[in-house]
Amino acid sequence: MADQRAGRGPAITCAALAKTFGTGPAAVEAVAPLDLTFAAGELTALVGPSGCGKSTVLRMVAGLEAPSAGTVTLDGAAPADLQGEGALAMAFQDASLLPWRSVRGNVALALKLARKPVDLAAVDAMIARVGLAGFENARPAELSGGMRQRAAIARCLVTQPRVLLLDEPFGAVDELTRARLNTDLPALWQAQGTTALLVTHSVREAVALADRVVVFSSRPAQVVADLRVPDLLALDSAEGRTLMAEVTAALSQGWADDPGSGRHAAQ
Amino acid sequence: MIRARGDMPRSRAMAGAVTLAVRLPRLSREGAQAVGGALAALVLWELAARGLAGSYLLAGPVDVARYLQANSGLMGRALAITLENAALGFVAGNLAAVALALVVVLIPRSQPVVAGFALVVFCLPLVATGPILRVLYGPGPGPQITLAALAVYYTTFIPLMVGLRAAPASWFDLMRVYGRGAWTAFVQVRVMAALPYLLAGLQIAAPAAFLGAMVGEFTGAERGMGVLALRAMRGLDVEATWALATVAAVVAMLAYGALGWVARALAPARPEVLLAPPPATALSGRAGRALRGAGVAALTLVLMLALWWGVMEAFGLSRFFAKRPDDLWAFLVSAPTAAENRAILWEASAQTLTYVLPGYLAGLGLGAVLAMVLVLAPGLAGAVLPVAVALRSVPIVTTAPLIVLALGRGAAGTITIVAVMIFFPALVACLQGLRQAPGQVLDVMATYGAGRLTRLIHARLPAMLPAFFAAARMSVPAAVLAVTVAEWLATGTGLGNLMALTASTSNYNLLWSAVVLVALGSAAGYALVGAVERRVLARVAPEQLR
Ligand SMILES: Nc1ncnc2c1ncn2[C@@H]1O[C@H](COP(=O)(O)OP(=O)(O)OP(=O)(O)O)[C@@H](O)[C@H]1O
Ligand SMILES: [Mg+2]
Repeated sequence: MADQRAGRGPAITCAALAKTFGTGPAAVEAVAPLDLTFAAGELTALVGPSGCGKSTVLRMVAGLEAPSAGTVTLDGAAPADLQGEGALAMAFQDASLLPWRSVRGNVALALKLARKPVDLAAVDAMIARVGLAGFENARPAELSGGMRQRAAIARCLVTQPRVLLLDEPFGAVDELTRARLNTDLPALWQAQGTTALLVTHSVREAVALADRVVVFSSRPAQVVADLRVPDLLALDSAEGRTLMAEVTAALSQGWADDPGSGRHAAQ
Repeated sequence: MIRARGDMPRSRAMAGAVTLAVRLPRLSREGAQAVGGALAALVLWELAARGLAGSYLLAGPVDVARYLQANSGLMGRALAITLENAALGFVAGNLAAVALALVVVLIPRSQPVVAGFALVVFCLPLVATGPILRVLYGPGPGPQITLAALAVYYTTFIPLMVGLRAAPASWFDLMRVYGRGAWTAFVQVRVMAALPYLLAGLQIAAPAAFLGAMVGEFTGAERGMGVLALRAMRGLDVEATWALATVAAVVAMLAYGALGWVARALAPARPEVLLAPPPATALSGRAGRALRGAGVAALTLVLMLALWWGVMEAFGLSRFFAKRPDDLWAFLVSAPTAAENRAILWEASAQTLTYVLPGYLAGLGLGAVLAMVLVLAPGLAGAVLPVAVALRSVPIVTTAPLIVLALGRGAAGTITIVAVMIFFPALVACLQGLRQAPGQVLDVMATYGAGRLTRLIHARLPAMLPAFFAAARMSVPAAVLAVTVAEWLATGTGLGNLMALTASTSNYNLLWSAVVLVALGSAAGYALVGAVERRVLARVAPEQLR
């Protein structure tokens, strides 16, 4: 499996990466200097308390937010270079579909923006893949929250990106559909050797999907645990349960670090 | 009930029957309320006319219909001319609005100056620009078309500017993730996101263009509805006055309705708050903001003076009627008679203020109060709202002759004209605001058993304020327009009369001075309301100020 993954996606290197919003007394330090490398072709799950800076890390990797200090490099290149090649894709926390375009129009737009030929058959196939067959002509307003998120995933995947950034992509999707997507979709990017970062609040999902789970502390984000997930781990095996318990323990440790949110950890 | 036959595709037939069964009663109920409201208005009108028969005030719907039938040729020709002028002005004004909005969006730093410039030009009193344009253009439809354009461009410019920026940041992030720049974002996101705002602006513009064309015809045209209206009023021809006002009202409502229909067909999602609050300046701290505001105002003023002077020079217009800034400076400051000239202006301004302030406050207050009453009595709202929406689209000034007929040439009539001009837009805006209270908030209150009044105070009023202030701001130029027209048509006092008088006596120095004074005065009033708005919203609805 590892051989298959090697190749297309770049390794992502964050070197002393930091972000502070605002200046003076109102400054918010969202990400403390962070040194992390995400191996080429791997899927890494980022988990951490709400507001700890996960989205900010993702946005800096996508080149949407300029770091206050440090750098992000993707196989030595800057995020902007990959943007220009149409090699990046990001699923935003709110699906961010354009309301005046149908599902098909939204997915096809990604191909157009990435300067790739707009192949409607491929577009429809991708829509079917996320379980939205029959909704190709629906407007986003006619979809449920979870359906919108799936359409956004289809938009991300249709361009076959080399770097895939998913910010809580399944937040509003029901448990069953989520489980189905979790078994079905990863094959799509794994086969292409995409380097992927997935932000999620579900420990189960993180362990089920990822090759590696990085746990952040409360704001400013710092790494409290960095755990490998063995290949072909079964979640309900003893090993799987141990790993999930480790992630959960690290999460509550991250909570406890923050005096303001210690109560939650205690509950 | 329709029973599904064995050979029919059952589910389809059932679904059809169900939607029919569900939809028809609802539609017909709303329709019945609207028709009921309209009929009630007509009947009241006719009854009032019968009651006042012989007093030469009011012509009822029956008289109006009879008059229109007898004079259909004359009315048809006048209407065609006014419609043509209004349509040309509509196109020109909206093109200008689009151009201005594009400048602001492409060069964001230019926004305060462009918006300030646009506001001052919008505040130019049509009553005076009409005669000045008449002299500049000579005979022909030029002034009417220009006035129609001036009457519409601002109400398109503001929502369009808001719409071009209304898109959430993540839509632009999406473009950037694929390495696309400002141009793609403009085409893919901004233009499409602005479309509903543009259409909403065009809808308001349609009746306003008709108003502009008619006021243009008041000021010395040869043909058109405005000419007929003026003649009828001067001749105390009650039936003609009412017939003309009715036609103007119906045309305005139809134009408003037609554009609303187009807008719904093209862009089903309507923008929430049409006229967003004035933008905050970037500098923090009160002193910094005041400084920056003063700088922007000064820059706008200098640019306007330069443009004014440049246009006059470029077209080589005679200084006799095309005054330059330095002429006015001499007239008001350096000439030996300057003090007298200033005194004349101050006196007229004081008179105008005594009409416009009470009218403005009364119209705004009554609109807000009635909106609240209607929310507490939803049954009544179904009948009143359609009539109010229809009347909002009527350029009240075109019916000013009626109010003059009814209330005479004194203060009461003028104040009423101002109040009525403001009342309907304020009522409709407040009602829309009141209805915008988020359903969830209302639901939460309902679970605590909160009564209608509690819900009104705690959930609906805060939601109403942004719409109320938007109406209050846009009402400032509208009130000034109304008061100047009324003064000129009726009272023979104040700035409106001064402008009409000086136009006919070719006292162009005084005329231009009055124009500048009125424009700057109403722009300042607009800015003042905007400042109050920011203060209040910052306390009760900070989410409205982005
Ligand atoms: N544009 C911004 N301006 C100012 N502060 C910001 C901005 N974006 C994020 N922040 C702050 O940075 C911190 C981290 O935000 P971020 O969105 O990265 O959190 P997150 O980990 O993604 O949270 P969640 O799980 O709730 O999505 C928060 O405290 C937030 O208030
Ligand atoms: Mg986030």
